[in-house]
Amino acid sequence: MEQTPKLAVVLLSSDLEKLHAGALMGSVAAMSGMTVYVFVSMDALEQFRKDVIADKRFKTGTVGPMLIEKEVPLYYDLIHQGIELGNLHLYACALAMDVMGWKKDELIDDVEEVIGVNQFFGLAEGAQIMTI
Amino acid sequence: MSQVAIDKTIDARGTYCPGPLMELIKTLKTAPLQSVIEVWSSDSGSATDIPVWVKKSGHEFVYSIEENGYWRIAIRKAR
Repeated sequence: MEQTPKLAVVLLSSDLEKLHAGALMGSVAAMSGMTVYVFVSMDALEQFRKDVIADKRFKTGTVGPMLIEKEVPLYYDLIHQGIELGNLHLYACALAMDVMGWKKDELIDDVEEVIGVNQFFGLAEGAQIMTI
Repeated sequence: MSQVAIDKTIDARGTYCPGPLMELIKTLKTAPLQSVIEVWSSDSGSATDIPVWVKKSGHEFVYSIEENGYWRIAIRKAR
């Protein structure tokens, strides 16, 4: 039986450029027929809070300001497209949520579930894992 | 190239990678089999990326023509 190729993207950094690169590769992979799991942890998680996105509190280097200026659809838009048009699933890390005292409803609605590392390993079994 | 009949044209000029590809994939989902779709892209990354995607995804790459400041890339839906 042929299995759908799987990709797991682990986002750890709050840098807009890194979030954007990971989201871009994940969404294109999902729209190309791969099953994609995006796992958001550590500093990256804050950038998936509704208030941070609403207030555009992005952390940028060189390319990020131009992504914003040229109104390129950003990481959360790309992930949303991957969910809508492909088989992409977005998860938040339970540890970072607990340590920060954040609730799931403070994160964007595209976050499917808050999961621990064992659940992530279960999902990512046999997948290519990309850590950014 | 004029003998290829275009069924649908997508003008994705002004969007950046992967915008044109995303638009193409959206259109391919609902297009009838064997229809030819032409994407216009002003983004040079997409001009090289879309043909690679098309071959890998099992569709047929028809042509890529560079116009003044943009590319016209045609694809036949094969599955």
